Amino acid sequence: MNEPVQETVGPSHVASVPPRGKSDVVLEGLTKRFAVSRKETLLAVDGIDLHVAANEFVAIIGPSGCGKSTILRMVASLEEPTGGTVKVSGRPPHELARGHRLGVAFQDHALLPWLSSWENIALPYRVAGRKPDAEHIAALLALVGMERFGKARPRQLSGGMRQRVAIARALALGPEVLLLDEPFGALDAVTRRRLNLELQRIWSEQAITTLLVTHSVEEAIFLADRIVVLSERPGRIKLVREVPFDRPRGREVITTDAFHELADELILALDPEGSTREVV
Amino acid sequence: MAELEATRGRRIALGFGGILLLVVVWELLGRAGALGVSWPPFSKVVAQGVEDHALLSRSLVATVTAAVKGFVVGTSVAFVLALVGVLVPPLRPGIGRLATIVNSVPWLALGPFLVMVVSPDLTPVVIAGMAVFFASFISISSGFQSVSEAHSDVFTVFGASRFARLRLLQLPSALPALIDGAKLGAPAALLGAIFGEWYGASVGLGLVIITSMQLILPERLWAAAGLAAVMAMVAYGVLSALEVRLERRFR
Repeated sequence: MNEPVQETVGPSHVASVPPRGKSDVVLEGLTKRFAVSRKETLLAVDGIDLHVAANEFVAIIGPSGCGKSTILRMVASLEEPTGGTVKVSGRPPHELARGHRLGVAFQDHALLPWLSSWENIALPYRVAGRKPDAEHIAALLALVGMERFGKARPRQLSGGMRQRVAIARALALGPEVLLLDEPFGALDAVTRRRLNLELQRIWSEQAITTLLVTHSVEEAIFLADRIVVLSERPGRIKLVREVPFDRPRGREVITTDAFHELADELILALDPEGSTREVV
Repeated sequence: MAELEATRGRRIALGFGGILLLVVVWELLGRAGALGVSWPPFSKVVAQGVEDHALLSRSLVATVTAAVKGFVVGTSVAFVLALVGVLVPPLRPGIGRLATIVNSVPWLALGPFLVMVVSPDLTPVVIAGMAVFFASFISISSGFQSVSEAHSDVFTVFGASRFARLRLLQLPSALPALIDGAKLGAPAALLGAIFGEWYGASVGLGLVIITSMQLILPERLWAAAGLAAVMAMVAYGVLSALEVRLERRFR
């Protein structure tokens, strides 16, 4: 009897975000060239073809400077491709951004320092000109384990807590596509592992089409359905691997042989000349 | 914590000590008459101030009123121009140049002109406004520019309109800079108002200063000037305290 309203998100729990149909990401021949000086240009990303299916989690890994963040920024409508196309749900990314349909979390949490956690999560609503849904925001705070810190400002929180709030903010409007650029990159190993466990749980509940950029092989395997390895600059696709683990994934996944074999293979692809012994 | 308190206590004590030393030297120099009649001892200046309290308080109210009006007008014009610069980026360099030109016009030359165009009693307000305008304009403009790239990216991805970006990101980001500009602008406004009163205003500290000079009443002149200086310091202090509170919240 209570029809789901188009623009608002289910009131009781975050998991009740209505599915938005075919929200896939298609990259075709995606190329980015940066001007270095008046004459010189730098080819950063070269001819990337990639299809992130609806409700799929794809991780892009690669050596630093390989253009993986640039790819993500092009999908986020923050950079224009020099060649090729990006389509999100069949449309150019800036249309999705303008429709408040993208969620992002960067390595820099980018929370507004003058707002509380609650107000930061409410920000996407205000940007979209909507009234913040208090129940939904409370549910999001609970989802990221921050229910007791709704009134705290970013500077009162630890690095890990800030990233939790940033993730909650990215999820606030139930985005069609979630873009994550090293969201836990600045955190210590223990916090990082714990947050990956939680992100994996949250993602398994919602299954939003997600593109993650990371330099951590372990993180990529633990979170993603599929992993794309990029070469050194210019970034080209070198290897694509499916991740065979069922969801939800527990801590124990990391200790399995399959995990280590996949990790060894990816590390070898990342660094063909180096040894396969060191695991990030 | 106790150590912090101790250093703070020492700083305050040193500050008061410095003021006391200044007053003592002032008093001694005045009593000795070392610098002539134009340097009366501190005690005489205070005594004159007490005697003239009705005149001085009436003048102070007039000057502060003019300074506040000028401050509000100058800051508002600066704010609106900075805002136009943000909303219509092609206009920004032109507005900046205009502000610089306004700032480089000497008030001294402007006074007689203003007396004719506006009125002797409005001249203090206009000069106070001009004194505030530039510092406010520069700090508000740079406040709008101080938005971090990461925040700006987040607003782009969330699909913020220009107006939403202004309201939710640029205005709050500019607030500390706005107070910073106001902190510099408040004493400047007071100075501008006093200066403007030299061009024939009917009441004000500037008028008291200039008439005491003509009537050779150095004690009254010092009392009026001292009062103006104290007022400027109070304004600066109040805004500094406000700034500290805002800094804690907005940065």
